[in-house]
Amino acid sequence: MNAPVFSVPDTIGAAARGLPARGGVGLKPEHFREILATAPDIGFFEIHAENYMVDGGPFHHYLGRIRERYPLSIHGVGLSIGGESPLDADHLDRLAMLLARYQPESFSEHLAWASHGDVFLNDLLPVPYHAGTLARVCDHIDQVQDRLRRRMLLENPATYVEFAASTMAETEFIAEVVRRTGCGLLLDVNNVHVACVNHHRDPYAYIDALPAEAVGQIHLAGFAQDVDAAGEPLLIDSHGAPVAQAVWDLYRHALARVGPVATLIERDNDIPALPVLLAEAHQAERLMGEALAPSIARGFPCGACA
Amino acid sequence: MNKTMTAASLALALGAALTVAAAPAAAADGKMSMEKEHCYGVALKGKNDCKAGAGTTCAGTSKTDYQSNAFVAVPKGTCEKTVSKTSPTGYGQLKEFKPKMAG
Amino acid sequence: MRGMRVSDQRIFADALLTGRPSCPPGLTAWNGSDPERRFAIYRSNVIVSLIDALADTFPVTQQLVGEEFFRAMARLFVQEHPPRSRILAFYGEGLANFIEAFAPAAAVPYLADVARLEMLRVSAYHAADAMPLTAEAISRLLADVAVLPEARIGLHPSLAVLRSGHAVVSLWAAHQAADAAQALAAVDPEAAETALVLRAGLDVEISRIPDGAAAFIEQMRQGAAFGDAAEQASAADPAFDLAATLGLLMRGGAITTMTIPRSATS
Repeated sequence: MNAPVFSVPDTIGAAARGLPARGGVGLKPEHFREILATAPDIGFFEIHAENYMVDGGPFHHYLGRIRERYPLSIHGVGLSIGGESPLDADHLDRLAMLLARYQPESFSEHLAWASHGDVFLNDLLPVPYHAGTLARVCDHIDQVQDRLRRRMLLENPATYVEFAASTMAETEFIAEVVRRTGCGLLLDVNNVHVACVNHHRDPYAYIDALPAEAVGQIHLAGFAQDVDAAGEPLLIDSHGAPVAQAVWDLYRHALARVGPVATLIERDNDIPALPVLLAEAHQAERLMGEALAPSIARGFPCGACA
Repeated sequence: MNKTMTAASLALALGAALTVAAAPAAAADGKMSMEKEHCYGVALKGKNDCKAGAGTTCAGTSKTDYQSNAFVAVPKGTCEKTVSKTSPTGYGQLKEFKPKMAG
Repeated sequence: MRGMRVSDQRIFADALLTGRPSCPPGLTAWNGSDPERRFAIYRSNVIVSLIDALADTFPVTQQLVGEEFFRAMARLFVQEHPPRSRILAFYGEGLANFIEAFAPAAAVPYLADVARLEMLRVSAYHAADAMPLTAEAISRLLADVAVLPEARIGLHPSLAVLRSGHAVVSLWAAHQAADAAQALAAVDPEAAETALVLRAGLDVEISRIPDGAAAFIEQMRQGAAFGDAAEQASAADPAFDLAATLGLLMRGGAITTMTIPRSATS
């Protein structure tokens, strides 16, 4: 494969340019120094926004230096877009400040809720899919995009339960959110696999039902396996293992539809040595390269350039 | 009030401090008899993330046994190694202790 | 109206934190299996991730009482005091007070202060950056000695002082040693100590400082003039060593500003 030659990004207009169609890894404090010392060949780094909502110190010191050298994705985990509560204006302000400071190529958040009232639950909690929640989620995304003055990507969730109140399929809900708000999609292929196993659906059909042209980034991760009360498999989005073969297979399918697009290896538990993560990101790039040739021949649109 | 700190003594201290601050670490620390404890290489983790934590499965590790309220009232850690002048058994022991009264 | 009532996420949140109800109504599974088992994934994730966050912030507190005791205590804390901020870095600011009132921890009377010290460490780690005043800038102030007593000294945002009735610094430091048990044998937990927490560059340092140095720092933090702060510190501690204290602060880059009020300039 021929990965694009890396060049130092100028941060002006980074959002407009977007992330390169390459592999990236989550930025972990245990890897800060190694990244600066070894300058690994990697397409981008991703951070969780809330971890950097601190005044100063090592996190900003290292992120500033790493951001000078690499494209950056900022991934929020605390906006609670699916929440019944109104968006937290202070939190949105903090997010706007963080984005202004680091000018990331991409900003994304989750189709989930994490706060109720003033209590933060630190988990991505599920939302029923019906007209009421659709209106609320769209309203929240409108507010986010207005305040941040940029397009955000919305990530499909990994869920363990469904709601009797739902009247729409998840893909239908997401497609409608994209249509109404103009937001993009962060297609988490591991979440697709996890949710489809957990709810006995076809993950390939799930991906086919999403608007491919809206996908601006892909996430890949590992999961843990459990069973439900009936003994059926229940997968858990643990980010604690290498990407599973079933997820790589599904990723190939996603690439065939979407084209090469920035792909993150997420690892938040049992974090291995940096080269292990880099190797997974490079594997994603190899698959992108394989997907590219036939898609160009068939005149497929390039999702990353959309 | 008897001013012990004249402008001159402040200046003297400040000047001496500049010398101390410029001296090699070991020498200066010795002079000041203030013990410094570094936490070398301690990089804090980012605590916000979007994973389901390790051990959150229902498989039944001690970390996940949510329903178990069996509170272990006896600390079992390094506190058992700390010595105490007022408690013959030290800290964190099963036995209750009463601090010795003065005299 | 179909779907969620306004309070559905309230019920969901209560079930997550308190287990009451054990499972929110209206959840389904494709195979008709009991959704409580599936819901428990969320509950476990909320509780365990917050306990993990506390364990990260309070490693020595955890070592002192052992992982089992710490996690059981942390679970109660999480349920009574869930995070009020979406930024988890500082979660656990109330843990020291919780420990003080927590009867099973009474056998370890210094535990709360060790937790206080560990929380200050995290706060110092993430505190705002500030450039230390250069030696040249400090030297320039020596040019006009007469106004020196009126100087106001600004300290680094990461700096904090913790006064403890226990040997909080020595207890903490013993756990940084390769053999904590051996190091602890040399510590008298009942010896009062005062800790200085300061981020010098990128590293948080913890020092044991004399009472006079603590008084001096506290005075300056309250905006006292240099001369008055030194007076107060001497009064509080006859052994107060101004030069040593200033040297310690300068070496840690803790002095960030020194200004002479306009009214004092000659």
